[in-house]
Amino acid sequence: MAKNIAIKVDDLTVAYNYKPVLWDIDLEIPEGVLMAIVGPNGAGKSTLIKSILGILKPIAGSVSIYGKPYHKQRHLVAYVPQKGSVDWDFPTTALDVVMMGTYGALGWIKRPGQKEKKAALEALEKVGMLPFKSRQISQLSGGQQQRIFLARALVQNASIYFMDEPFQGVDATTEIAIINILKELRKEGKTVIVVHHDLQTVPEYFDWVTFLNVKKIATGPVKDIFNDDNLTKTYGINFKVSVQE
Amino acid sequence: MNNAQIEIQLIASLVAMACAIPGTFLVLRKMAMISDAISHSILPGIVIGFFITQDLNSPLLLFLAAFTGIITVVLVEYIQKTGLVKEDTAIGLVFPILFSIGVILIAKNANDVHLDIDAVLLGELAFAPFDRLIWFGTDVGPKSLWLVGSILTVTILLLFAFFKELKVSTFDEGLSASLGFSPIIIHYGLMSVSSVTTVGAFEAVGAILVVALMIAPAASAYLLTTNLKKMLILAVVFGVFSAISGYWLAHFLDASIAGSITTMLGLVFLLVYLFAPSKGIIAVTYREKQQRTEVSLLTFLLHLKNHDELEERHVNHLREHINWQKVRAKSVLELALKNNMISIEKNIVSLTKKGDAFTSKAINYIITNEDAQIEDMKDDFFLFRG
Repeated sequence: MAKNIAIKVDDLTVAYNYKPVLWDIDLEIPEGVLMAIVGPNGAGKSTLIKSILGILKPIAGSVSIYGKPYHKQRHLVAYVPQKGSVDWDFPTTALDVVMMGTYGALGWIKRPGQKEKKAALEALEKVGMLPFKSRQISQLSGGQQQRIFLARALVQNASIYFMDEPFQGVDATTEIAIINILKELRKEGKTVIVVHHDLQTVPEYFDWVTFLNVKKIATGPVKDIFNDDNLTKTYGINFKVSVQE
Repeated sequence: MNNAQIEIQLIASLVAMACAIPGTFLVLRKMAMISDAISHSILPGIVIGFFITQDLNSPLLLFLAAFTGIITVVLVEYIQKTGLVKEDTAIGLVFPILFSIGVILIAKNANDVHLDIDAVLLGELAFAPFDRLIWFGTDVGPKSLWLVGSILTVTILLLFAFFKELKVSTFDEGLSASLGFSPIIIHYGLMSVSSVTTVGAFEAVGAILVVALMIAPAASAYLLTTNLKKMLILAVVFGVFSAISGYWLAHFLDASIAGSITTMLGLVFLLVYLFAPSKGIIAVTYREKQQRTEVSLLTFLLHLKNHDELEERHVNHLREHINWQKVRAKSVLELALKNNMISIEKNIVSLTKKGDAFTSKAINYIITNEDAQIEDMKDDFFLFRG
């Protein structure tokens, strides 16, 4: 099975104030997987994503997206940051936030027009948020805000999607809605990478998983490597996964 | 009004506009204090520039001062990045030092230069019309009008060109970076504009009051709108209004123009703070009162739903059972009656169909916290507006 490699990470080391938070990471993510990155707090999960996206500069190592550096492949990638990383009191509407997803394709200076607006409305429709398009973003519930973020990523029409804890602080209905959209993306052959916290749902939601705790512990298909051994190595305590009966 | 008066108001208005635009983004980026830092620490740049050019309106002076502004930002960020002190401490360390270098430079050369501390701190708007720009032998207006006008023009052009970049990097730095709009470049661009604007406004209103022109209009506008474009427009309007009304306040009180403009800025903010339709103090207090009533109403309805016993639902016993004061119990009872939620027969209160449906829906919302079901209720009740 020679699948295309969507993302390749080589010897990546990232440090904050000379203290490494990611240590010599090698990672190959095949095209078309729905992958969870799991690991304890401070394991460097968000840092890994941010380094792949060029938001953080690594002190060593390199990243390539379909064989080329990120800044040449930006149009292939969509990113959903943690919901808590932005100020939801910002004076703007749901539609406007989704429109931001089109900015990358526009490049500097050029303004979004009707075409971009239409794409944004379609993305809102897909996540079931069309009725809320004119609402100020602080007037949305946590789950609705997360859907807006997802819509913003969808509008980029990318090949690879990075999502940082999309299920944090959302209700069960939204969680199911989001995972269904992600599974749909996988069906279309896209690669989806999700920083994930809830170990219980890993086998149900994902087909690929990376265990991370400053170093890479393991990466591969969920059915092969999602086991007590790797969980124990990652979380440092004895783990019994009760979900796989 | 004579010519000089018109010119002063024009300069003040242009300064207010030029300040309100970067000010809006500073407020949204929670960087209001950095404008305070810039406005003080550009002093040595201005002084050195003035020594060289002997002209407060020269481009070189503008450049040197703006450069000092950028140095301030870099220093603040550098100190902050060490992780030893927090941002506000870093700001508090950097700008007084740079400012005092300027103060010493002025004091050491006080006899040679027409630049004094008062002017630096409070501006000399009243004298601005005396310094004319002569173009091929013709008087084309005060120099500072041209200076501020040019700064404003460039600021507006930059705003139009990079509006989307400013918006996305202000709202979501991570997304901005991943899309290829470097937040660092945009950050320093904004800082440069803020520095240049501050220098331009310096002469008019001085180092202390520039901050007010940057922050107060934007802060007032922030309370009134949920749209970035409208916020910018409102901030500009508030700035210009305060500039002109401030000028006339100073005229009638025979007081400092800069001081009066700032007083007007403060007044505008106070009025908005009190009376803003959704975020103002009065609206918020009113809403909280409404919410209290609605929670009471819901508690009352729930009590009726949960109790079939007649004595629990007798008008005169309700008060004891829910343990409320008389006035509150009465007002809740009336509110429920008015909304057809309850009916009273022979002093026994019961839920109407509408009341029953409303209670179930509300309880369901509170338990599941799902929004979709109560969209239609939101218009009638504050409680569910989050």
